[in-house]
Amino acid sequence: MLGNRRISTNRWWHKKKNWILVLIFLFLVFVRISKGSFYKNFYYFISKPFWPGQFQKEIVLESIDQEYLIKLNLLKKDNLRLRRILSLQESSNNENISAAVISRKTGSWWRQLILNKGGRDGVEIGNIVIGPGGLLGRINDTSLFTSSVTLITSPESKLAVWVDRSQINGLLVGLGDDHPSLILYSKDADIKVGDFVSSSPASTLLPPNIPIGIVQSIDETLRSKKTARILLLAQPQVIDWVQILKVSIE
Amino acid sequence: MKKFFTKKLSIISFIFIPIIFLWHPNWLGFLGVQPYWPLFWLLPWSMINGSFNGLIFGLFLGLILDALTLDTNFTQIPGLIFCGFLFGRIKLHSNILIGHFRYGLFCSFGSFLCGSLYFLQILFKNSSDSISLMFIPGVKNILAEVFLTGFFAPFICSQLLRIFKFSRRIKH
Repeated sequence: MLGNRRISTNRWWHKKKNWILVLIFLFLVFVRISKGSFYKNFYYFISKPFWPGQFQKEIVLESIDQEYLIKLNLLKKDNLRLRRILSLQESSNNENISAAVISRKTGSWWRQLILNKGGRDGVEIGNIVIGPGGLLGRINDTSLFTSSVTLITSPESKLAVWVDRSQINGLLVGLGDDHPSLILYSKDADIKVGDFVSSSPASTLLPPNIPIGIVQSIDETLRSKKTARILLLAQPQVIDWVQILKVSIE
Repeated sequence: MKKFFTKKLSIISFIFIPIIFLWHPNWLGFLGVQPYWPLFWLLPWSMINGSFNGLIFGLFLGLILDALTLDTNFTQIPGLIFCGFLFGRIKLHSNILIGHFRYGLFCSFGSFLCGSLYFLQILFKNSSDSISLMFIPGVKNILAEVFLTGFFAPFICSQLLRIFKFSRRIKH
């Protein structure tokens, strides 16, 4: 009777220490299988207070901005010099006016913005309106306090544009939906999905090199021309602030 | 002063149509398209005041809305005049439910008419260049507008009709 009781108390699973060892073993197996992700995540949380702070991030971003600005100015100078050599048209950027969008019609047939700057602030018919991303449209009407912009998606809008990669001119036509259409009057025009479209150097309405959009799809069913659907870089349906460029094209 | 405002409620509400047209609340839209706001006012006005008044105010509305939109080559006047005239020939229905349904139906039809006339002008103007490209977006715009106008008409038109009737009763 006594002997039986002694044997049963000596089984390994009756010892707490052994269970701890088993648990540690299982945990290590889990760590091995998960390739240390547990540790990495744990490290993420404990090291968080020691990360490079917001201050350092700002310094880095500011330096990058300065670098880009210097590069941009160098490129602008280069561009101007080359344009003069090639006798191409120049755009003199006299003044930019910031304006808020006070009315927005971006659906249906009427595609226009009304801005809170008008004739009183020096806005003139024909001025270019750009937003974050690129071209939005042109000023078509001004009152004393407001100005109206015809968006490039409007059926009234027709602009000469430039496909950067293949260096060909085309006509950008608003269709009354969010994606204007690029018409290239040649069946053999070299255009691909993803091509970047900007304002044409040949345009008499726009200064050159204003970003417009990216080719989203191409339609080659027409006999004498190619058409492409353009995804605009600037989104007029969400933009609240725009820049009016008082540009004179020489 | 209060009596003056009550008498002129229909005209005061007329002034708000261009404001709503400009306001263009995106959250109320469908596929980026808005209901055709002027018809909500024109239907009850024409039903109460007859075809001739409908025609005249259709013209007024068209003139104002054309002034607000930048499309100098296209006009909304023909559609609105035609709708004003047609709506004036509609008689009020005694059954509330059928009456409400009729507002939706007539406004949808009016919106289809105005949208189609506008689209035809665009097609006519662009006949050489991009007629085939404009067809699908155009049909989409018309259908979305027809749906939204028909959807909101029973709510708005019935209320405006009540206001106009009340204003008319005070006048006489």
